[in-house]
Amino acid sequence: MKGISSKMHTMLSLLAMLALVSGLALFAGCGGSKDDQVETDPAAAGDAAEEAVETVPDPVAPEVPQEVEEAPDYAAMEPAEYGIEDIFFAFDQYDLDDVAMSTLARNARVLRQHPEVVILVEGHGDERGTIEYNLALGEKRAKAVRDYLVSLGVSSSGLRVTSYGESRPFALGSNETAWAKNRRAHFARP
Amino acid sequence: MLRFTLVVLLLMASALPVLGQAVPNVEVGITKTAYEKTDILVGILDVLSGGIQSVDAATLIEQTLASDLKNSGLFRVGLRESGAETDSLSFMFAIRGSVEGPLRDAEQTGEAAPTTISLDLVTYPGGQLMLNKRYRPLPEKMRATAHHFANQVVEMITGEPGIALTRVVFSRGQGDRRDLYLVDYDGENQMRLTANRTLNLCPAWKPDGSEIAFTTYNRGMQGLYSLNAANGEVREVISQDGLNLGANWHPDGTELLISLSRSGDPEIYRITPTGEILRRLTAMPSIEISPCWDPAGRDLVFTSDRTGTPQLYIVDGDGAGRRRLTFESRYNDSADWSPTGEQMVYATRMGNITQLVLIRATGEDRRILTGRQWRNCEDPSWAPDGRHIVFASDRSGTFKLYVMDVVEGGARQLTFGEDPDITPAWSPR
Repeated sequence: MKGISSKMHTMLSLLAMLALVSGLALFAGCGGSKDDQVETDPAAAGDAAEEAVETVPDPVAPEVPQEVEEAPDYAAMEPAEYGIEDIFFAFDQYDLDDVAMSTLARNARVLRQHPEVVILVEGHGDERGTIEYNLALGEKRAKAVRDYLVSLGVSSSGLRVTSYGESRPFALGSNETAWAKNRRAHFARP
Repeated sequence: MLRFTLVVLLLMASALPVLGQAVPNVEVGITKTAYEKTDILVGILDVLSGGIQSVDAATLIEQTLASDLKNSGLFRVGLRESGAETDSLSFMFAIRGSVEGPLRDAEQTGEAAPTTISLDLVTYPGGQLMLNKRYRPLPEKMRATAHHFANQVVEMITGEPGIALTRVVFSRGQGDRRDLYLVDYDGENQMRLTANRTLNLCPAWKPDGSEIAFTTYNRGMQGLYSLNAANGEVREVISQDGLNLGANWHPDGTELLISLSRSGDPEIYRITPTGEILRRLTAMPSIEISPCWDPAGRDLVFTSDRTGTPQLYIVDGDGAGRRRLTFESRYNDSADWSPTGEQMVYATRMGNITQLVLIRATGEDRRILTGRQWRNCEDPSWAPDGRHIVFASDRSGTFKLYVMDVVEGGARQLTFGEDPDITPAWSPR
């Protein structure tokens, strides 16, 4: 270049050097080359691997859930859930009719197999009559059921008896349909 | 001189019948005789100071006094000296008085200054002073002040202590979530006593009013517990196997009757307030329940279905001398012996509804109290005046409590709301 002064020449050299340095700085800022170096280093590979996002799982067989034979916990269930059915009664009566006795025979079969379970036999009545007499009648019903189950071989220590009288109806209504549903002995988890 | 003396004597003699007439024949017999009431004027109280609060207090006291006197069944009450409502009344007595509220500067300084209530019972129209009381109640005690004075008036004029400070405990709720509540005899100040998420029922007052025994359920099993009326604390009395039901305190407060089925079927026992069995009174394979002492604490009435259906029987405190009381209707239960000792009220099933019946302790003069329009009526309990009963009726569609005057047959509703109210018990005085 004709006519460039020595000053200009120095400046140009400086600029060139600046360009070169800044170019290097740009490259130095990029972390790619550094990581590449680290990944090839086996000692440091573990640390990097934790930070890395993708790991390809090993092709192993999927985990098969173990089939454990868990016995149903009868003590934690409501008796109706394992097939114990309620008993129904005629108005002002606490004796067991044929339907009641065959239902109790079926209940006894289940209960005899699980002597460890304690069941509460609740006596109930319909809303007619007085509070106190219905409580007493409900208890008679529950005891009739309890006594019959014991006679069929169910352990008496597994049967508790109580009465709610007319206070806990199963069906609301002042008609025979509702009343018939409420004259019952119900089995409950104590 | 003699004539003058005679005149004086005649005047005195004529003065006495005024008082004599004013003591009506408080024969709470079961025959409805024409019954004389005393006419009384509840006057407007003078408000001497205290602004609008004192005016409100005065109005509340006047109204409470008037309703207490009416509720007693022994008075006809007028609130004005003349007018359409009171023209048929000839007042024998009047209540006058004044309310003196806190002075202005006390209000401004915020000091808690009492209100002074002064109440007089005077003859009418003579104005002769018979009774004067001064009260200094806190604002929330205005009703109680009026109740207290009404009781004094009733006792002075009729000889009967009043019942205006009595209360009724009962069981409210649905299914197996029913709690005990307390309400003033006039329906005010309803208060909840239990919140234990179970079935609480059949409360029974100790004769001194300090405790309420009641049946509750603990994990499905019945027990008898007792609630301290002053602080609400609950303690266990007895929890035998089976029923622990229908507690009834002896009039001397030292023991209770209860039905326990620990022996296999429900029988009547005498127990201590700490649950010790004193004596077994019945021994039948049938159901024996609902015991109730007579007010002398000598005999008791109870229910037994030994003949096949529930009937009332009376025995003495040793379980001896048993006699049957009810012969009509197949189903009789829930007897309560009147404080006067002469009669009981009980529930009977006639056709397809339960009704209330009065009967003499001798078994005579059986009288049905509630007609068919009352639908089912149960759990009757006597007021200490032996004239009023509280009971539950489902005439509105849900069981609610009502108070009835057994002499005149009039009734008022005591409790309201959606949930059924059952097994009420009227407190002692």
